[in-house]
Order: sequence, then structure tokens, then C-alpha cells
Amino acid sequence: MSDISIILRDASVVFTGQTDLVGRVKNTILRRPSASNTKEYTINALSNVNLTIARGERVGLIGLNGAGKSTLLKVMARIYPTTTGIAQTRGHVCPMFELATGFEMNQSGWDNIKIRALLLGLKPKEIKAKMQEIAEFSELGEFLNYPVRTYSAGMFIRLAFSVSTAINPEVLLLDEVMGAGDINFAHKAKERMKKFMAQGKILVFSSHSPELVSDFCERTIWLEKGKIRMDGKTDQVLKSYADNYQATV
Amino acid sequence: MISQNSFIPNALKSLLEWRVWLYMGLQDIKARFRRSAIGPLWILINLAMMVLGAGMVYGVLLKQPMEEFLPYLTCGLILWGFLVASFVEGGYAFISSEGYIKQFSFPKQIYLFRVLVSLFIILMIGVVALAGTLLFFDRFNPLGWLYALPGVAILLAAGLGHITLSAYLSARFRDLPHALSGIFQVLFFVTPIMFPVAMLKDRGLDFIYKFNPFYYLVDVIRFPILEGTLAVKQDYMFCAAYLTLLWVVCIALGSKMDKKVVYML
Repeated sequence: MSDISIILRDASVVFTGQTDLVGRVKNTILRRPSASNTKEYTINALSNVNLTIARGERVGLIGLNGAGKSTLLKVMARIYPTTTGIAQTRGHVCPMFELATGFEMNQSGWDNIKIRALLLGLKPKEIKAKMQEIAEFSELGEFLNYPVRTYSAGMFIRLAFSVSTAINPEVLLLDEVMGAGDINFAHKAKERMKKFMAQGKILVFSSHSPELVSDFCERTIWLEKGKIRMDGKTDQVLKSYADNYQATV
Repeated sequence: MISQNSFIPNALKSLLEWRVWLYMGLQDIKARFRRSAIGPLWILINLAMMVLGAGMVYGVLLKQPMEEFLPYLTCGLILWGFLVASFVEGGYAFISSEGYIKQFSFPKQIYLFRVLVSLFIILMIGVVALAGTLLFFDRFNPLGWLYALPGVAILLAAGLGHITLSAYLSARFRDLPHALSGIFQVLFFVTPIMFPVAMLKDRGLDFIYKFNPFYYLVDVIRFPILEGTLAVKQDYMFCAAYLTLLWVVCIALGSKMDKKVVYML
């Protein structure tokens, strides 16, 4: 097996769907042409993306909302299969995407920590060893004994963040997860994040903060409408990006 | 790596992650009864009410001896419950795990096994009730339970197949679980659960069970437990044929839809 890497060849992702499924079923039954009263949509979330990320690289993803940053990260995480083209990710992936979803509402904080840790690929023994540390970092205290449906939005994020950053990742994929929690936690989270990101053998993260990107990444990819607009040294890409949007403002 | 057909490799990978789905399935059961005072006892109470209520009425109506009819009914009901749930709850396997599927890179099939675990636990609680019923009527036969084991393996394989089928199709067609629970209410009345098979035979209505796969899935467990011997050979052959067909369909469907499911959630 070859080394840890991410390779995309002509990778495209197309979302399709109908806004009016009932209408479509009716049309099928009545054998009417489908276009008459249904709205079908296709979104080219990613088009023909080519890239290779090798061991040791730290890559920033920038681009406007809807440019395809999250989709690209999910393709790299093997969550979204490509519609056409090839996507290969070698190595143990640690994704950190939507910190506020994927909880068992009626189960306690402890149970949710365990489930998330299992899904991140930790063995039960490792979880036992790290449980206390995760709990302390989350600062949730006795709330961990309560069902998570009693949690506030910030508390969900604290719990998820504490679990995700407790593991030792090979391929670390982050989607805008900086600034989790309240003022106290945000500072702590930033410090921990830095340490965590330093551990990853490959790091890819999307951000709207040029400082963060230039702090961490030698290489930056600028996405625009699902395509790679520019891929190169961080300072150059950030400069072109800023120039481009300054000009239009 | 995402290969062209990822269903079978992913399914095998999921199987090896038994710690994850076993834990999640167990937690589902715990969560279901978390805020109830007597918890899983409800399964037993509901079963007892059904058996006593329906058993008294139907036993008298159909002129059945109670000591035979009540164990028959208990056994049929718990197995039927498992079969219905494998379709109906299986339909929510992916839908209710959406948050995880979109967030973690685990193969999706762990959520199918997760449902199977919780259905199996509920079945086992029912089995305790069945053992109690049999002991009460002094009809408990340990050898029969041993003979039921092949049937249990068949039931689990079928259950996993139903969950798979229903999970993939329901992700696409959200009306399916609702439709299925209606369909199974009808099927309940044409499957020998509330009435003995002999009654159908006597009235020339054999076809009602002869072409009903659920009858065979129930009978390969119920017959050995109640009669203390293996079920008839044809039962096992029919089950094998059904399982083969079911799994061919599952593998075809899974291979076709595995890459699409995440986009449907």
C-alpha cells in the first residue's frame, strides 16, 4: 500500500433532484412528459477537479460561499462519491465538518462521546483512556450526565470538538470549524486546534480567514463555482483572491 | 479508495467494525426506554396483553386447546414482530443516521447492522417470554430450542436482507416505510400467526401459506420449539430459495445505490 495521499482525477460531483417529487410520480403514472409541471435541478458542485496532495502537505481551501469547498472536503473524506472521475484518499481520515449535527438526543453526553469516538475510528480501549481528558476539555461537567437534548448549540459544538481533536489523525479535513464555543472556549479551542493541525500528516481545511490560512498552509487552492481557479503558494493565491474581489467591490 | 462497485467491500468492512454497530444498537435500546419507569418490561407487558387478549378470543373462536394455542401464538407474534420491524424500522436505517453518514467516513452498512442489533435484542426479550409461557404449560423442550437454531440463523439473514432492501429504497422513496406498515397489517391476517396451519389445510386454503415466505421464516423456528424436532425439509428449502433471491436483489440494489444514498439524505 502506498503512502498517505489524496488524489483527484477529473473529479466531478453533480447534485440532481426534483423540487416536486409528487408531481413527478403523477407524471410517471399518467405518462405525461416530465418537464410539464415539475422542476428538476442539477447543480455542478464540483467540475473536473484535478489535484494531488502528498504526505506532509498543509492545504488551505478558499472561495466564496457555494464555491464547492465543503463538497470537495466531503469527497476527500470518502463521504461523497464522485459522479464522474476518480477520488482516492489513502490514510486514516479524520473529518471535522458539521459539529452541530449527528447526536443521539436522548442519550447522555458520555454516550455521545463514545459513539463519536467510535465513528472516528478509535478502539474502545483508547476511548476509555481518553474519556476523562475529552470530558475535561469540553468543560461540560455534570451536563455530560444529562441527555444531550438539554444542551445549547454551543455545548454541542464543544462536545463534538473535544472528541474530534482528541484523536491522532493521518488525514485531517476541516470545514470552517474555528471559533467554536463562547469566548473562553474559543481561545482554548484555537490553541488545541493548532496543536491538532500540527499532528496531521495531511491537513486540508477551508476557511474565510486569510490569517489562518497563511499561518498553517504553504499551499492554497482557490475554488470558484466548483472549479479550481488557482492552486499554488499561499501568499500568491491569497493575493490574487483579494485582488479579484477587491476589484469587484 | 472509491472503486466502481463499493457495496460488497464496504459491507465486509462494516462487518469487521462490529464494536461500532453493536454499541450503537445497544444504545438505541437503552435510549428507547431511558425515561420509562419499567423500560423493556413494556415489551413483555404488551406481548402478554396481546397473547392473553387475542389468545382467549381466538382460542375459543377457533376451538383451540389453550395449552397449545397460547405458546403457538406467543412464538408467532414475537417472530412476526421481528419481520415487520426489519422492513419498517429498516427503512429508517439511513434516514435516522443522516447526521453520521454526512459527517464520518465510515461505510454506511454499519447502520444496517445497527438496526439488526436492536431488533435482535427485542426478539430476545420476547424469547424470554416464550420460554416462560412454555414452562408455564409444561411444554418446554430444550432439544427443540436446539433444533430452532438453524431457523434463527435463517431469520437473521432474512432480517438483514429486509433491512438492507428497505433502507436503500426508503432513502429514495420516503413513503415506503408508511406503505410497508400498512401492507404488513394485511399480511398479518394471511400468515398463520393467529390461526394454526391445519385449519387452512382443512379448508383447502393451502395457497395462503404455501407461497408466503414469511410463513416459512416463522415456521423454521416455531415448529422446532413447539414440536421438538426439525421443521419439514421443504420449509428449509423454501427459506434457502427465498434468502438467495433476497440477497441477489439486495446486492444488486446496494451496488446500484450505495454511492447515491448520501445524496438522497
